[in-house]
Amino acid sequence: MKMRWLVVLLALVLGFGLAQEKKLKACFIYIGPIGDIGWTFAHNEARLAAERAIPGLETKYVESVKPSDTGAVIDRLVSEGCNVIFTTSFDFMDATLEAAKKYPEVIFAHASGFKRAPNMATYMADFYQVYYLNGLMAGALTKGGKVGYVGAFPIPELKRHISAFALGVRAANPKATVNVKWINAWFDPTKAREAAEALIAEGNDILAFTEDTATVVQTAAKKKVPSFSHYNSMYKFAPDYVVSGQLVHWEKIYIDFLKKVKDGTYTNKNLQNVDYWWLLREGAVELGAQVGMPINPKYADALKKATMTVNGKKVSVYDRVMELLKDMSSPNPRFDPFTGPIKDRNGVLRVPAGKKMSVAELNSMQWMAPGVVGQVADEPK
Amino acid sequence: MIRLVPEPNPPRYRALWVTLGAILVAFVIAGTVFSAYGVSPLGAYRAMLEGTLFDPKGLQEVFRRTIPLLLIGVGLTLAFRTQFFNIGAEGQVLLGAVFAAGVALFVPLPAALTLPVMFVAGALGGAFWCLIAAGLKSRLGVNEILTTLMLNYVAQYMVIYLINGPWKGKDARGYIYSDQFAAPARIPVIPGTDVHWPTLLLGILLALALQFLLARTTFGYAMRVVGENPGAARYAGISTARVVLLVALLTGGAAGLAGVGEVAGIHHRLIEPLQLSSGYGFTAVIVAWLARGNPALVLLTAPLMGTILAGGDLLKVSLNMPLRVVDVFSGVMLMCLIASEVFVRNRVRWGR
Amino acid sequence: MDEILNAFARALSFGTPLLLASLGAIVNERAGVVNLGVEGMMAVGALAGFAVAYGSGTGDGNLFLAVLAAMGAGTLASLLHAFVTITLQANQFVSGLALTMLGVGVAGLLGKRFEGLPLFNQPPELPFTILAIGLALGLALAFRVTRWGLILRSVGENPAAADALGINVLGVRYLAVGIGGAMAGLAGAFLSLVYRPSWTDGMTAGLGWIAVALVIFVGWSPLRAIFGSIFFGLLYYLQFRLQGQSGIPTEVFASLPYLLVILVLALSGLRGQQGNAPESLGKPYQRGER
Repeated sequence: MKMRWLVVLLALVLGFGLAQEKKLKACFIYIGPIGDIGWTFAHNEARLAAERAIPGLETKYVESVKPSDTGAVIDRLVSEGCNVIFTTSFDFMDATLEAAKKYPEVIFAHASGFKRAPNMATYMADFYQVYYLNGLMAGALTKGGKVGYVGAFPIPELKRHISAFALGVRAANPKATVNVKWINAWFDPTKAREAAEALIAEGNDILAFTEDTATVVQTAAKKKVPSFSHYNSMYKFAPDYVVSGQLVHWEKIYIDFLKKVKDGTYTNKNLQNVDYWWLLREGAVELGAQVGMPINPKYADALKKATMTVNGKKVSVYDRVMELLKDMSSPNPRFDPFTGPIKDRNGVLRVPAGKKMSVAELNSMQWMAPGVVGQVADEPK
Repeated sequence: MIRLVPEPNPPRYRALWVTLGAILVAFVIAGTVFSAYGVSPLGAYRAMLEGTLFDPKGLQEVFRRTIPLLLIGVGLTLAFRTQFFNIGAEGQVLLGAVFAAGVALFVPLPAALTLPVMFVAGALGGAFWCLIAAGLKSRLGVNEILTTLMLNYVAQYMVIYLINGPWKGKDARGYIYSDQFAAPARIPVIPGTDVHWPTLLLGILLALALQFLLARTTFGYAMRVVGENPGAARYAGISTARVVLLVALLTGGAAGLAGVGEVAGIHHRLIEPLQLSSGYGFTAVIVAWLARGNPALVLLTAPLMGTILAGGDLLKVSLNMPLRVVDVFSGVMLMCLIASEVFVRNRVRWGR
Repeated sequence: MDEILNAFARALSFGTPLLLASLGAIVNERAGVVNLGVEGMMAVGALAGFAVAYGSGTGDGNLFLAVLAAMGAGTLASLLHAFVTITLQANQFVSGLALTMLGVGVAGLLGKRFEGLPLFNQPPELPFTILAIGLALGLALAFRVTRWGLILRSVGENPAAADALGINVLGVRYLAVGIGGAMAGLAGAFLSLVYRPSWTDGMTAGLGWIAVALVIFVGWSPLRAIFGSIFFGLLYYLQFRLQGQSGIPTEVFASLPYLLVILVLALSGLRGQQGNAPESLGKPYQRGER
């Protein structure tokens, strides 16, 4: 009790000191429960990290918000004094834009979308480079040349990731295929399990996935099949079978954004062109089975023995992954997985030689890279 | 031992008192859950009340949620009254939305006709989905709980198929939803709110009309007989099968209308099924049960549940309580209400 | 051949929780009480099982106790339903819905601290499957030849006559609902300990509802429940195995399990096999009422 009073007193004293400075209250709207170990969990961890990193920052969150309720929740948050609001799902896009018009004095930032306003920025931490690196490893490790992928929905984000993954697989193993099963859900452990079982039954001996639980990792481990962790560290669920994976650090974006709001770089007038598209270079994503472990040591030997041809030279897959990771993490990366010439899986040239795909193209990607096997309803012919 | 002594002629206002008592007990039980969570129950209730009924924005939230609950609930009272246990309103809402979206997206119509046709199409969609279950029940004796439930899943996949395939929007950039509806296909709202008033009006009219149907018409009489005493219905020459089919038409149609309201009043496009309906189909079961088989009473019970849903959201936002609070609250409320039923018809005696 | 064996193994695995839960529901429905709250009872069972098995997080939880805890939690939840529907004679369908909301809600609230944690002491799958099939055979036998089975069925068919014979109708119904809860809890434990060893809010994913539907699907017969759950498990697996093998949209395969359940039921209706429901199913029993 006494401690609490002390803290309050301290806060009051400090508060007087900072009285001129406008208090920063950042509020987060989540699509799922914070307890999943996927998307929302990662955003919430980042919120806590931002709170620790920025003194005086107050945060608040609302979990499991339906897109239809977004407007009402934003009303509520604004009336409670939130001056920066992060809406962390693509589904919130239109509601966020409307709210930005309704509350011109509040700053909004919307994750993974493409609509902006003077007081509404967009941001995304994207994995496509990491997927390429995972693909290299998967291609090197598959014995039968078949890599399985459990996918949520066939939207551009997944097409981009699966295609990058497949480009990686084919770079290391030109004959291998990436076999996709869709479960039409972001969260559904039973479907994820049965889809993974079906992929294993079809002879896929490495698995990767997009779903908000560790089910695929667990299922694969039971069948002694290596897999790649998705979104958060799932290494602890199967230490012997998680090769590597994709990890996210949303806090890099949140801290940068909020610091710039605090020092006046970002205002409610100049966000029209603020679009964070942060990758390995900015540290917003990480390659790894868990934080700080890019490749599970158990698989290092196998990857060092596996070789691939790069520009006519033979190199080990392990070295290639490390080299590209270093390059793409540097301030001026030279390598990009989506550098032309790239044909789609039907043979249509999608990226001309020497060109790289733009952020807008990546964001609305419809086609699938060669090597991907699986149904996609709206694939352009 | 508790012993229940039936009372043939319960006092007139007894049902009211018992219901209020049950709600009070529910609030007390939910309150203990709140305090177990470290939130003062009185504070929580005050926040809920102040933030919903005594706050313009809150009130608008209450109305927005009341609209689908009213429409679905009105239909369900009739279904329950005739012992047709339709727990597939969720799927019927989706079908209503699909049919309305089909009209909005692909049928060229004069602006003035668009919305009326959408409502009719939506009602037909919901009714069609419910008729599958009703037909199987009356023709082949297939249990409707099972079929309505299974059809919920089928409806979900149907929506996903449409927005992922043939109906995928051109402005959607590859994401899975349909194109936005044009202006004439959007239900007007009270300016500055999300309250699509024509749907609300439709719900109120439907509640009154169905109350009239139930109380004053031969068909209403047939419904009551089928529900209360199927044996007598056969004796009186009432075709149970026909009554069930017609009730299914009404209850499914009403749920379909709710689907039109959601898709054309709020989302303005066909979206992922789990985001489209928000579980109104199940909450409406409470609404219908509270109304004790009287469609007109849904005019009171739907706003009550609407307030609880909006208030539950408030607990989430203002007091940072977890999402499942709303489920626990609804479950406790429903449990208390149905448990209280017995005290309307019986007196309680202790001992043997 | 491998393919067929594997598909069969998947059907057994996915069918196990369905079989366990629907056997429980068969018991309480045979005694005349419908409990639509299977999903909720499964959820609390899954959580209780995981919480005990997790122990201090080092894999030291006692698995046997975990299974018992899951069954206990399921029973506790079901007794609420029993009190409301048997003693207070409330509507069984609505009470079951309420129980689902409560069970899923309470499990979601209390389970927060177990989310995203791995389980190190995972029990093997086979004993659960064997137990489930054994229970089904045992129940089928018990219904046919034992006095206990006769009493249970008579309470569900004609409670007044059973009462006249000196059977404690309400007591039998309480017991049957409790058994239903324990079995649903066991099914939940299978999910959180074996099928997908971890706890997440919403992890029952509608399986409880499918179990409820299966009971009707198999005509309240424990023997047919074995085949019914394997059949559904097979369909559920095949929706993914067959995906991508043809031009048929994935969503069609996804809805196939549900459509086929309806279809099979309609076909059995055509052949006039719907008369299996216990006569007094869903009706409260009150003494002196005929």
